[in-house]
Amino acid sequence: MPRRTLLLLSILLLVGCNTAKEQGSGSGAGSGKLRFAVVPKGTSHEFWKSVHFGAEKAAQELGNVEVVWKGPIKESDTASQVEVVKNMITQQVDGICLAPNHSQGLVDVVNEADDEGIPVVIFDSGLGEGAGYVSYVATDNYQGGKLAAKQMAYAIGEKGNVILLRYRAGSESTEQREQGFLDGISEYPDITVVSSDQYGEENASSAKAKVEQLLQVHGQSLNGIFAVCEPNANGTLEALRNTGHDKTVKFIAFDPSDSLIDAMKDGSCSGIVLQDPVQMGYMAVKTMAAHLKGEAPEKFISTGEYVATAENMEEERYQTLLKPKLFGE
Amino acid sequence: MSATNLKSKRNPLVRAIQLILWSDLGPVVALFVILILFTLADNLWGSGRFLSMRNARVMLNSASLVAVPALGMTIIIIAGGIDLSAGTALTLCATALAILLKNDVSYMAAVPVVLLVGCACGAANGTIISTLRVVPFIVTLGSMTIYLGIGQILSGESTVFPPRENIPAWLIDLCSTGKPDVYYGWLPNIPRSVLFALVLACFVAVLLRYTVFGRSVFAIGSNESTARLCGINIPLTKILVYTIAGFFVAVGGVYHFANIKNGNPSEGVGLELQVIAAVVVGGGSLSGGRGSVLGTVTGAMIMAAIRSGCDQLSIPNPYQLIIIGAIIVIAVTMDRLREGSPEWLFRWLQSRSP
Repeated sequence: MPRRTLLLLSILLLVGCNTAKEQGSGSGAGSGKLRFAVVPKGTSHEFWKSVHFGAEKAAQELGNVEVVWKGPIKESDTASQVEVVKNMITQQVDGICLAPNHSQGLVDVVNEADDEGIPVVIFDSGLGEGAGYVSYVATDNYQGGKLAAKQMAYAIGEKGNVILLRYRAGSESTEQREQGFLDGISEYPDITVVSSDQYGEENASSAKAKVEQLLQVHGQSLNGIFAVCEPNANGTLEALRNTGHDKTVKFIAFDPSDSLIDAMKDGSCSGIVLQDPVQMGYMAVKTMAAHLKGEAPEKFISTGEYVATAENMEEERYQTLLKPKLFGE
Repeated sequence: MSATNLKSKRNPLVRAIQLILWSDLGPVVALFVILILFTLADNLWGSGRFLSMRNARVMLNSASLVAVPALGMTIIIIAGGIDLSAGTALTLCATALAILLKNDVSYMAAVPVVLLVGCACGAANGTIISTLRVVPFIVTLGSMTIYLGIGQILSGESTVFPPRENIPAWLIDLCSTGKPDVYYGWLPNIPRSVLFALVLACFVAVLLRYTVFGRSVFAIGSNESTARLCGINIPLTKILVYTIAGFFVAVGGVYHFANIKNGNPSEGVGLELQVIAAVVVGGGSLSGGRGSVLGTVTGAMIMAAIRSGCDQLSIPNPYQLIIIGAIIVIAVTMDRLREGSPEWLFRWLQSRSP
């Protein structure tokens, strides 16, 4: 009896399969709205909620666009992100906006989308060679790194020892910042980079542990430290406070958080390099819409980079960047 | 048979439930039910592409990523053990592969080395469990972080990614679900990862059913003391069990690398739970002596189908996590029915029969 049930079920399933296909192609053409999948690196950092806000804002302005927001929970989870993109291809969305969390790991799946005729706009972080995508919308991270170097030089009086805390190998956006910082610092002959080969990894606690180790080694003669992204910056700040270095070591962060803004007020943080996540989500969706209309968008679209300091942080422009709008607020 | 006598006395509902459950096809039926439910839901609210050839490819590929290490886990669980280190050992293997390829080692040498790494991880677990007689849960809980640590030392606490030209073409295409030219022409467009996983599954099924080793595994898991009295060399069999499982973990590591093209040891944390869940949903019993390859493969497919279905229906991550958790508990509860548990339910059904 179970075998017969099984046979019956498989027949049902096959029938279902055929009807599903026909209906699928029908509904896609029927509804007038364009569906854009927007896939962030992860869903648990505030930065992505601002990107989401920008994407929804663009969709509202365009009127005929619906944003499908889906990403992996953890930013380090490349496998989940690959699967999310594959599922979006299966859904036959009209376009995919993707913030790849690994420059190599997502190349094949982006090509898969391309083969299926789904255009891909990359945002926030770049993709390795050989991937077919429409445009890359991001902060000029290299420039952001240079700005950090300039601010660092200003804060420590253009001489002394500094540490560059890296994020994670294979994350294109932060590697650009790191390179920009090193190139920027090399213009100041009296500044020495005493450590630039340590990685803070994806969360604040791993970054804190790493910085505490670094402070043990270099703490006595250290003048400045640069952390290249928000989770790392939070961990670094904690480590500096924990070891009592927060007044002696000048600290430059990249991307804001509430604790970093407070730290800037009390002087433990000497500057935050800002990007514009709302603009990033907004431009990603707008670029995709332009591409589908037949326009040819630029291959790289910069969304701007800024430095907030204790002096300028109360200005309105910087306030909106320090506390960008979040989706769902 | 006495079983038929017993059944005829029971109420038809109980009989129907037991017929399905006794046949070992419970998980397969569950898979069909889940596929049908998602297909219906997807046609009503989704894009209607849940049940398409493309999605079948995507689901089968993601199921094979879990199913391959789960084959080894099946053997371990049948033998009454558990391996919590499978996840980090898997990413240790993937990281090792990434490092070897990055350093221009040919895959002809790199893949065998990685398989050896996996077997060594398993053998280490098995040896400690057998010789020191510590429960597998504790031993592998320890080795889980040890393998994570080793992986982090090898990778310099970072992500290792070899340049694309160092990765052989077959490895790039192994988990591909895209263009038709990556499949074997004489078969429908099934990803290579799936075909290879099927071959491995058949191998394990034969190993468990038709070899002395396989029968010993069941004997040890059912009753270790009796197995010892029957003359089975228990320490040696256990070491073998974990070593073979290590082999499948290593193959899983190769799959993992092929899927994301980089190696990061910390990505494996939590993966072991997916692997164990596949075995358990497939009818494996954590108290040993029971489990099957068909069940495990089906279990992995059930989990992949749920994940894909939730994605197709645009169900947000938090709800998806809750659904997957609920399915695991339901599946295992259903499975307990065939052992007549919970007793109160059967007594209640019995009392209602005319």
